[in-house]
Amino acid sequence: MKTLRPLVFAFAIGTAAFAADPIPVKVSTDTSGASTRVVLTFAKKVACAVVEDAGHVKIVCDAAIAPDPGSGTPDDAILKSFGPEGDRTIVLSTGRGYRRVDTFELKNPTRLVVDLQGTRTAKAAPAPAAPQKSLPVIVLDPGHGGVEVGALGPAGLQEKDLTLDLARRLKVLLERQGVTVVLTRDEDRVLPLDDRTAIANHNRAILFISIHLNASKRKSAIGAETYFLATAATDAEARTLAGLENKAYESPDTAAAASSTTPPDHGLELILWDLAQNSFLVESSKLAEAIQAELNTATGVRDRGVRQAPFRVLMGATMPALLIEAGFISNPEEEARFKDDAYKDKVAEAIARAVASITARP
Amino acid sequence: MTRRFFVPPAFLLVALLPACGGQNKTAPEPVPAATQPQGSASQSQDAAPLAKASVTIYFPSTAGDTLAAETREIVDTKRPADRGAQILAALLDGPRTEGALPAVPPGTTLRQLWVRDDGNAYADFSEELLGGATGGSADEILTVYAIVDSLTENVPAIRRVGILVGGRERATFGHLDLSRPLPPDLTLAATAKATE
Repeated sequence: MKTLRPLVFAFAIGTAAFAADPIPVKVSTDTSGASTRVVLTFAKKVACAVVEDAGHVKIVCDAAIAPDPGSGTPDDAILKSFGPEGDRTIVLSTGRGYRRVDTFELKNPTRLVVDLQGTRTAKAAPAPAAPQKSLPVIVLDPGHGGVEVGALGPAGLQEKDLTLDLARRLKVLLERQGVTVVLTRDEDRVLPLDDRTAIANHNRAILFISIHLNASKRKSAIGAETYFLATAATDAEARTLAGLENKAYESPDTAAAASSTTPPDHGLELILWDLAQNSFLVESSKLAEAIQAELNTATGVRDRGVRQAPFRVLMGATMPALLIEAGFISNPEEEARFKDDAYKDKVAEAIARAVASITARP
Repeated sequence: MTRRFFVPPAFLLVALLPACGGQNKTAPEPVPAATQPQGSASQSQDAAPLAKASVTIYFPSTAGDTLAAETREIVDTKRPADRGAQILAALLDGPRTEGALPAVPPGTTLRQLWVRDDGNAYADFSEELLGGATGGSADEILTVYAIVDSLTENVPAIRRVGILVGGRERATFGHLDLSRPLPPDLTLAATAKATE
């Protein structure tokens, strides 16, 4: 198979690797949206990779599978047909309208969702009637929530409340710019870090911003800072590991190894998750600079600059992703500012101005 | 497009634990918690005074968002795990200059330190490490990198450091990804090194 662009997707140990019987996979397609969506529902857990080839998108699994074509082939401009190849691969034959593929997975039952992006010339005419659907999505992530209160101000301000407050203000401002804004949480509840990133990926967001307030034992610490991801793995290292891992899948000892001594799959999974954001580091850093500059101008508080750190919530985001530490609520002066609506608006407006540079469309 | 798929996060630990018994060549014997080696017995048998080595220990700086360096003397043992344990003992002991703050909460101890042949070290701290946090990423970053940078700076065999608490892997303390060993962040170390 000639791999033009291997899509590092879904590597994992499948318990099914030893299964003698093919794993039933129900295949369904949906052409009602802008993209052509193919949903593979697996009867058991299995590890799959999505590989883009000339004229095809292939889903290669590490165990034998038995695809059930369901309602059959859609035959639209993006996806012409699909079918099995060998006993471990499903081939999606793409049409002229096909541009690229996005994927994500769902659990219970195990599903792999393959979104084939592109254009359907036949359906181009009614497009103006549905401009709402094409609005880009920005996902805002109010940090912490529920029992995870985050930082605490000396006068009682809680980070989790302030992050949600700022996110709601920013949402209103961004939606005026013609984007759809999704909040990872719009209530006071616990939300795992990986779920926050997954929401951004699931919504195919063009931007992911995690909003936080900082705290330090140094009461003098003050000011805002904007982060983008520091990746621990270089591309070269990751590729090497990916190669090793692919070989490991050829070995029947893979699952046994997983429970004994070395953790190759663990490391691989994380590095690939990390790599997702690697493709967007340049865009992320540029936007971080723009946001930081606006925050400095708007707040007049100390410029703490643009920084990089391996923030868990930014890993795995398949779009430019930033984490804003809007200020130190451990600092009494800054905490007091954040109790003022006008100041909160000012901070939200600063972020919105910077984001406008990427939402502005020709 | 890069996604996670069914891998339990506790994987590393599960994989690591069997290696702790020294069955695995890549996992040298762990060094007992927070013990200053009484001498590198495994290295030198003679009664001559043990050589000392000067090392750099990083603490959160009082001046800002950087790490302040302090110099310490340790027994010049070459075994990475012995050397690393001495480094962490000095770190847990706390700073001695005005310009530095404790890197970890009071009472934090080192349970074990492993150094593997692949350059990864795993430092397992007591639960106190998680206590008393302000909840801000600023302090979390400085605590994590005081540990990581102190080890990687002084022990050539250590290139990345994984941090465990109470024998368990943590995906995060709240912000940073701790599910795998971290390389040092060289941008945090202040240029001027304070001395003892």
